[in-house]
Amino acid sequence: MLKVNNISTYYGKVQALHNVSFEIKDEEIVSIIGANGAGKSTLMRSIMGLVQPKEGEIVFKDEEITNLKTNKIVERGIVYVPEGREVFPALSVEDNLEMGAFSKKYSQRILSNKIEEMYDIFPRLKERKKQLAGTLSGGEQQMLAIARGLMSSPELIMFDEPSLGLAPVIVDDMFEVIVSINRQQHIPIVLVEQNAFEALRISSRCYVLENGEVRMHGLSDELMKSPEVKSAYLGG
Amino acid sequence: MSIVRVTKEVVFLYKIILQLLVSGIAMGFVYGLVGIEYTLIWNSTGLLNFSHERIIMLGAYIFAGSFVLQTGLSVLPAIVATIIAIIFFAVFVAYTIFIPLRNMSALCAIMSTVMLGNIINESVRLYYGPEAITVKGFLTGMIRIGTLVVARAYVVIIFVALIILALLLLFMMKTKTGKAMRCVAQNKNASSLMGIDVQKNMMITIAISFSICSIIGLLVIPLYSVKQSMASMISLKGFAAGVIGGFGSLPGAIVGGLFIGIIENIAGMIFPSTFKDVVAFVCLILMLLLRPSGILGKKRIS
Repeated sequence: MLKVNNISTYYGKVQALHNVSFEIKDEEIVSIIGANGAGKSTLMRSIMGLVQPKEGEIVFKDEEITNLKTNKIVERGIVYVPEGREVFPALSVEDNLEMGAFSKKYSQRILSNKIEEMYDIFPRLKERKKQLAGTLSGGEQQMLAIARGLMSSPELIMFDEPSLGLAPVIVDDMFEVIVSINRQQHIPIVLVEQNAFEALRISSRCYVLENGEVRMHGLSDELMKSPEVKSAYLGG
Repeated sequence: MSIVRVTKEVVFLYKIILQLLVSGIAMGFVYGLVGIEYTLIWNSTGLLNFSHERIIMLGAYIFAGSFVLQTGLSVLPAIVATIIAIIFFAVFVAYTIFIPLRNMSALCAIMSTVMLGNIINESVRLYYGPEAITVKGFLTGMIRIGTLVVARAYVVIIFVALIILALLLLFMMKTKTGKAMRCVAQNKNASSLMGIDVQKNMMITIAISFSICSIIGLLVIPLYSVKQSMASMISLKGFAAGVIGGFGSLPGAIVGGLFIGIIENIAGMIFPSTFKDVVAFVCLILMLLLRPSGILGKKRIS
């Protein structure tokens, strides 16, 4: 589905990614774990064209998308739910959802059906549909960000730190929702997380990033048992 | 006898105040439109467009100089042709100057918009000549509303301003492109992740802003005639209007504009009318000292 081959990305003169390769297949959940500054978000931003990798190529459904503009990549069906949620604070919940479908030419009827579908998954958003997104709680904003991402019926969705700054009870719900999106809608999911335990638990494969390089990758079950991962990311 | 004289004086005073109110509201809308025109670009691109005074003036010159005098078009087609010409100009300026500039330092960006203004100014002088142009019969004359007699220009300004505001509101609240414009103003990163072509959206915003500039230029022709300095005072007061209303807020620009327009006209009753311009800027400084976030602006939490 998506293949990243040996990309290197720089911020000015600082190299943030060194020859990173990464792959996700149909209907998979793949997690990317690593410490702060390991390059997880840079990898996402490189895939989305928010930063241009200097070397390497990115292939989506057998077509190269390496130097496309972000909006073109979204049109091809990749959705990225960024770290920090980034909902539009001065737009209502409903308008935020509508903007999620910007890349699609939905008719008014399909659009409202799609929004209703989101309200079924996240009933809290329905209660708050006229409210400005900036007035929502952190958990509700994260739900809105996920729902907004689903609005365009993506073929691949990438979540960046969806659990960041949320109460533990809500974190569990969040991961459950992510798993159910994958199971019910058959959308492959890339999950970037600092919460390594949860990430390994729900993903089938995992990549460990360190200092901008892929340190290890493999089946999540096996990584969970690896002493290196245990001591560095799972707290012994 | 004396009662009759007093009543007559009261009625006279009342009429004067009403007339001042009408002209104050009209000028207030002009300042408000100026405030909106540069706030749109500020919100979308983060640039302060210091060339807006010259673009207002350019609109008036293209209309009066090119389309009415040289081509001999009648007023309505000339207005349409002017707006179309300005939109082409806006697209060119957007892709060559404004969009590339927004990632540069603020100083570079400010200097470049100032220079763009100077280029327009000098080009207009070279092409149209230094003398002022008048358009005979355009928005001149008086209108009688009941017993009140007001300049036709003021009534037209209020009417057109209300139409522009209504259209802009509809566009920004109801259309996909308008909503995308609000998204780009709030978060460019997230906007591109929605699939919005941020640069194209900025270009559309700049084109709308420039069109409003040119309409302002047309509206003030009967007040200042078509000359190079025609927009210097309104562009400055429009800027003040934005600050007084709350920088970055579109409704704030209108509120600030009306505030200045009405205050300066009423003040003209008390002070000599030559002090009129002073009043607007005194208001601006008082506002900056007392409530820097403006009438409708949000208080910043630091």
